[in-house]
Amino acid sequence: MLILARKIGEAITIADEITIKVMEIKGGQVKIGIEAPHHVSIHRNEVYEKIVEENKKAALEAPVDLSSLEDIFKSRA
Amino acid sequence: MGTTIMSAAVEQQIENGLIKVRTSRFGEIEVQADKIIRMTAPFLGFPDSHRFIIRPHGDKSPFMWFQSLDDPDLAFVVIPAAALIPQYTPQIAAPILKDLEITGTKPELLLILTIPEGKPLEMTANLLGPIVLNASTRLACQVLLDPAVYEVRWPVFTETDD
Repeated sequence: MLILARKIGEAITIADEITIKVMEIKGGQVKIGIEAPHHVSIHRNEVYEKIVEENKKAALEAPVDLSSLEDIFKSRA
Repeated sequence: MGTTIMSAAVEQQIENGLIKVRTSRFGEIEVQADKIIRMTAPFLGFPDSHRFIIRPHGDKSPFMWFQSLDDPDLAFVVIPAAALIPQYTPQIAAPILKDLEITGTKPELLLILTIPEGKPLEMTANLLGPIVLNASTRLACQVLLDPAVYEVRWPVFTETDD
């Protein structure tokens, strides 16, 4: 992992088109400003990982047949 | 799962805008080209699947299959958010709505269900990452919402339900 020290207002440029800037440091929290092209999706890492994990779980466990589910849903809904 | 190697051989174009697609669950299915849903951003965890089709489970069932056309093995069980939680109306960021070409109208939200094998009553709905769909342009995208507000595993049936 590349580690760089930055002060407030300083930035890092990645691959010509992404800029990450340190906006504010307060109470153990860093506010980061990111400029990136539209096609680059940016997510909080923990949310991203949660969704990847859940998508994989949902796909892996998807049942072969849904008819049993329907009965359950009807009787409960 | 044979994800990438199969893509090329999965389908063959046939006449009248119909495409034959091979799927693991449903065998070979015919899909109308204009019903194909295109993802505007890579599906998280499954970046090779760009195209999907919705297969309703039946006329009266709220459940639907969200079947990948790029990976025969990949299918999610989804349910329209409105059918499960009418009060679920998350704010979708403007750039995403723009990508999906949604203007003015309310986007359609699909919730992905995780159904533990053999324990359907323990199914959960992913409220944190709904699929947002523009039903007219067939553009869709999984949106990541605020984890402080929305659960990734929202129990569909609560214990007090019975």
